[in-house]
Amino acid sequence: MSTETGETETNEVETSESSEVALEDVFGSAIERREDPALITGEAEYTDDIQRPNMAHMAVLRSQYGHAKIEDIDTSAAEAMDGVIAVYTATDIEEAGTPGDLPVGWLLPSLKTPSHPILAGDRVRYQGDGVAVVVAEERYLAQDALDAIDVEYDRLDAVVDPKEAVEDDAPAIHEWSEDPTDTETEDDGEAEEVPPNVAFDWEIGDADATDDAFANAAHTVDIDLTNQRLIPNAMEPRATVAEYLPGTEELEVHMTSQNPHLHRQLMAAVLDVPEHKLHVVAPEVGGGFGSKIHHYPDEALTAWCARELERPIKWTATRTETYLTDAHGRDHRTHAELAMDEEGTVTGMRVDTYAGMGAYLSTFAPSIPTYLYGTLLSGQYDIPAIHCQVTGAFTNGAPVDAYRGAGRPEALYVVERLMNLGAKEVGMDPAEFRRHNFIPSDDFPHETPVAVVYDSGDYEPALDKALDMLDYDELRERQEELREEGRYLGIGFSSYIEACGLAPSELAGQLGAQAGLWESGVVRVHPSGKVTAFCGTSGHGQGHETTFAQIVSRELGVPYEDIEIVEGDTDEIPQGMGTYGSRSAAVGGSAIATSSQKVVEKARKIAAHQLEAAEDDLEFEGGEFSVSGAPDRAMTIQEVAQQAYLAHDVPDDLEPGLEETSFFDPENFVFPFGTHAAVVEVDPESGEISFERYAAVDDVGNQINPKIVEGQVHGGIAQGVGQALYEGAEYDSNGSLMTGSMQDYAVPKAEHIPEMDTDSTVTPAPQNPLGVKGVGEAGTIAAPQAVVNAVCDALEPFDVDHIDMPITPEKIWNAAENDDSQEEI
Amino acid sequence: MQFDGTFELDGTTREEVWLALSDPVLVRNALPGCEFLLEVDDESPDFDELRERAAETDDEEISMDPDVIAERSFEEGSHYAALMELGVGSVKPSFETVVTIAERDFPDTVATGEGDASNSSFEMESSMHLAETDDGVGVEWATQADVFGRIAQMGQRVINPVANRVVKRFFQRVQSQLDDFGAEEPETAADASTDPEAGLTGKIRDRMGI
Repeated sequence: MSTETGETETNEVETSESSEVALEDVFGSAIERREDPALITGEAEYTDDIQRPNMAHMAVLRSQYGHAKIEDIDTSAAEAMDGVIAVYTATDIEEAGTPGDLPVGWLLPSLKTPSHPILAGDRVRYQGDGVAVVVAEERYLAQDALDAIDVEYDRLDAVVDPKEAVEDDAPAIHEWSEDPTDTETEDDGEAEEVPPNVAFDWEIGDADATDDAFANAAHTVDIDLTNQRLIPNAMEPRATVAEYLPGTEELEVHMTSQNPHLHRQLMAAVLDVPEHKLHVVAPEVGGGFGSKIHHYPDEALTAWCARELERPIKWTATRTETYLTDAHGRDHRTHAELAMDEEGTVTGMRVDTYAGMGAYLSTFAPSIPTYLYGTLLSGQYDIPAIHCQVTGAFTNGAPVDAYRGAGRPEALYVVERLMNLGAKEVGMDPAEFRRHNFIPSDDFPHETPVAVVYDSGDYEPALDKALDMLDYDELRERQEELREEGRYLGIGFSSYIEACGLAPSELAGQLGAQAGLWESGVVRVHPSGKVTAFCGTSGHGQGHETTFAQIVSRELGVPYEDIEIVEGDTDEIPQGMGTYGSRSAAVGGSAIATSSQKVVEKARKIAAHQLEAAEDDLEFEGGEFSVSGAPDRAMTIQEVAQQAYLAHDVPDDLEPGLEETSFFDPENFVFPFGTHAAVVEVDPESGEISFERYAAVDDVGNQINPKIVEGQVHGGIAQGVGQALYEGAEYDSNGSLMTGSMQDYAVPKAEHIPEMDTDSTVTPAPQNPLGVKGVGEAGTIAAPQAVVNAVCDALEPFDVDHIDMPITPEKIWNAAENDDSQEEI
Repeated sequence: MQFDGTFELDGTTREEVWLALSDPVLVRNALPGCEFLLEVDDESPDFDELRERAAETDDEEISMDPDVIAERSFEEGSHYAALMELGVGSVKPSFETVVTIAERDFPDTVATGEGDASNSSFEMESSMHLAETDDGVGVEWATQADVFGRIAQMGQRVINPVANRVVKRFFQRVQSQLDDFGAEEPETAADASTDPEAGLTGKIRDRMGI
């Protein structure tokens, strides 16, 4: 399973056709993705491909202001246009008696949860906030009719920076009723004023122990950094096709979803539709990166219009609409400090973060800068004391929620920037400083001071592998030589940890989740012995149809080609939590593995009955039950399936059929880790950065399909490099999005992405039956700080301590020009 | 966002430029994409009515006669409504614009304005100072503008060239109008350069209350 290939050549994983792979090798082989032919030939059906007879089209009028009162909306001219079927505003939603308010799926003790209506009524709070919808016979007609709606706004001052948003003089984005804060103290009767834009105050770790660590430290370093706002950029924009069937009162919604069951549950409440009458389907979904987890207004509005008009309705976001309204990621302003003793052993870490929430709380927004962030601040290191304080701030921007990595890139960026500064402070090599502070391999399970227990880990082999790939010592010598010539090479490390497959549900509940985090899997063996497995995850590019079939094939001993995977339909799958947080393999894969094992147990009973042997005497291998010591007395699982459905001769206490369901709830997260290293050359004259090398060593546990692992690592690194060097959502001071399209928001192109050398170590996860962790977010979590550390290393002769992302040539040039400056740039 | 610049108008005087830029008719003709420019009573006029009024009103002659212009000149504190069509990137919105002359004190003018189009809008404050130069007049202008909506999304990279194009065309047209009149009345202009109180300059100063 590990790709134990050479250390210097690019060790790209070769794929195989499934027919070339022996049954016992299916799990762990780089089988070609079976979903690709349909996806790349256009045969696959995405939401926008769906056509229905008599279908109408919806378009959304969005606030052009970041913050304004709505004085009046005149829809009459739009309504009078030929082809316009209806124009609706918040008043119509209200008059229909629809709740129309989006819920928050994760609560914190201090959290303020403002109302988030699906159409803004008297006030808009970010550019893109929906004000009205038009339903028309044609898509372009609906768009044109938006221009005929006359909205009278009274513009208000806006605030977009999370730190400025919580200052006393910042414009209040939400009005809180009577006693919004509940913080009145009893004795002096003096209310502790919480600024109006504070969404929550949250902390983790031991403040006193951390203060002690700093008081006794021999060395300390600190840094102010920004983890900039990012726009997700799934290839397929959000879209919905909704159809209401008056005869059965069923509302069928096809939508771009990473979690159709969750969307059904939330939408049922938002629209007051009985859950069993709401059928949500995620057809092919063209990427999500988190942005299709959340419940947005638009999908609910499409469904509402379909019910109201009793016509099928389609809505597809334009690219600029996705930029304005897809939940953004990151948006942290952080001050962080590291304490060390004389020997360079880290003794404490203190982190103070302002996290932008945007104008409203998106579905899981409160969890991202808190439990998915603060709990990762120990990184791969044995740090005795950590304290982290996070202030969530409402701002006049698009809501911020999970985006590939979701809290963990922000945490590891802080940790790994501090580790570089710490190494410099104590005069150690950054790789050796990391090694010196690693949690030793014999110290697992390891409990960190930020409330998680790493179940497994072995960090040095990954670092060593990365150093070997770079030929590190020689590279450092070359760096010295080149500096003599006025060329600036930089080497940056990122020894990252990830926590994914968030679980168990009980813990999630204690932390504030309003949902469980188990996963369901159904394995149905048909009478012919072919298999369909249904999983509550909902892939949107990850290759589940391939990898889950590999899992079932191994567990049942059924040929890979005989297995079909079904996801993404609330009518076909019992329940499901969906695909995000790198959970699909560890939680969903484990659910179908568990169901497969239950199928084998039932099949064993039938086989034992028909072979007239004791169950314990049956061996199961390669899809065949045989009697120990009498291999001729055997039945294949296909034969058992046929007998299970014939039911002519099954044990008395056994029901016919061969199908099992599991709801798998893991005991813990899984903790992938690894070391990434970037080697860059920086030209201080032009500010340009060129990659020499990018080496990634990831430990994601057992690999079901190394090619898919490699693809996830590649994609994750590409997005991480994008954050480090190119991407950044910018609002002006009025809350207008200055980066409203790909013209102004730099998604990296192929030429911007380095060649990557990937390798792995394998430390199987102890908490699930497959020993798998997660890989979907690893690259995004690891890459930004590898690149930033490399750039800062290159600019060391210029005394540059830090440059904020995205590191543009202009920033490099300024940093190099301001030689001798200790200031951050 | 902030725009500023200086536009050189050659072979003319500050008074002539002041006269030209006091004339709503000349300004309307010089402004690219300006469909009408009408004085209104307050800051929230009915643009449907204004469109009708503009359609019914015969075009007034461009003139450099201080008597004519004094009658219709911009006045401090008064409001003007304009319909402006601007091509920005792929969109060509029509802005219903209201401008208030906040300050008018030779050689300085300050105006504030707001414009609304479907899904885009702007708010601005502009100042203009007329400075004497060797060859004529330097119009030093500056605008602080906030843009909103669809146009704002295009970013300053797209908006800057549009703003510069509008300003450049405007002053080119002003220059050519001044040139036309200069050609008609050469001796008056010559007088102006020798004796500031005589001829056209004197008349402008007198009639325009400079």
